Amino acid sequence: MGNSTQNSGKPKRGVSLYSYSGEYGVTMTMEDMFADIHDMGARGLEILANGHIDGYPEPTDEWVENWFHLLKKYDLVPVEYGHWVDSRLYQGRELSTQESYDMLIRDIKLANRLGFTVLRTKLGVIDDDLTPVKNWREFIAMALPDAEKYNVRMCPEIHNPTVLRSKMVEDYVEFIEKEKTKHFGINVDFGVFQTDPIKMWEGQDLSVLKFSAVEDIIPLLPYVYACHAKFVNMSDDFVETTTPYDRVLKVLIDHKWDGYLLSEYEGKDKDVPGYVSGQLRRQHIMMKRLLGD
Amino acid sequence: MLEREQIQSRGFRNVVADGVVTGFQVAFRSLYYRGVWLSQLRPATVIVDGETFNGDQLTWTISGKTYEQAEMAALGNINWPLLEPALLTIRKPGGLAQGFHDIEIKYSFSASYMPPVMDELMTQIHGPAKRRLLMV
Repeated sequence: MGNSTQNSGKPKRGVSLYSYSGEYGVTMTMEDMFADIHDMGARGLEILANGHIDGYPEPTDEWVENWFHLLKKYDLVPVEYGHWVDSRLYQGRELSTQESYDMLIRDIKLANRLGFTVLRTKLGVIDDDLTPVKNWREFIAMALPDAEKYNVRMCPEIHNPTVLRSKMVEDYVEFIEKEKTKHFGINVDFGVFQTDPIKMWEGQDLSVLKFSAVEDIIPLLPYVYACHAKFVNMSDDFVETTTPYDRVLKVLIDHKWDGYLLSEYEGKDKDVPGYVSGQLRRQHIMMKRLLGD
Repeated sequence: MLEREQIQSRGFRNVVADGVVTGFQVAFRSLYYRGVWLSQLRPATVIVDGETFNGDQLTWTISGKTYEQAEMAALGNINWPLLEPALLTIRKPGGLAQGFHDIEIKYSFSASYMPPVMDELMTQIHGPAKRRLLMV
């Protein structure tokens, strides 16, 4: 995969700073989050560009210098840079292809400046089924030479309610094959494998949720440059109770997929100090055991 | 560091210009997980002790610059940073009296990766922004 600092031949562990969003700025600083991830022996890092970069989209040289200082201090690898093409930036109209490209290239350059090689490229949608904007092929194609030049892979995230066997995923794969590109792919969010969801709010109808068979990821692996290790509930005996992590990780190991699994906690009590750290530590014990780390 | 509550106690004060109290200010933080462009924001409404202020009755100050609500819809290249409280200045001659005041702030913002219908609802998932603050 595009992102390895060492070719371990198996998935590597990382964390998305999104997990800490209930504490960031209130009870945790950026350095606190880095230190917490380092404790788990995880090395991969995902940030959200306009959440975690001070002065976004134009951080100061001092900020960037400190960024690399912290990466070194906590032995972290910048893996995935979360960013958005905000198609509804202006009320009442969608961004033109040129405007969308301008937004993309700004993030491509900044991601490269910070050392990232994968982009979690969030596209605007036009309906309740999360169908991407009609001109996505045009502005992504425009940005492919830039992505190559700046060594990044733009990856929309496949996230429930979307499933892996879907028109959306077929369209992305068709585009990749047509363009013969290594600079556009997908990020699979493990929420798509959630077989036993738990209610996140009163009145939530769980019966409408669809999920993908674990094996459905196999034909997509050549296009998967990072995964969101989505989790919502770790038990005290280190089992994620909603998603068959044992089967998912076995498929990845068996197929020698060696990208990063980026933990994304989306359960309860995100703003209770220390709660997310405890959930992340449980999840990383589970992943270490399954990966044989 | 920010206060846990969305409406911050720091920043709550009357505004004095040329010796005259012209209004008051209140700061609030975003509970979203990323900063937003000013054009993504929908105009805010502030309710103080039951009195409603909106439209040109209030301005937003972001990173030291003050914007009228009407001009923000066109500002797609200015970011409201995630960890910076927005400072609202409410035009109210005489300001607020010393003592407790019940403050409520309503606003929304577009999130293009969500169904379009969500653009007017994005802040409701966090519940209403309400707090009782003390004016000195």
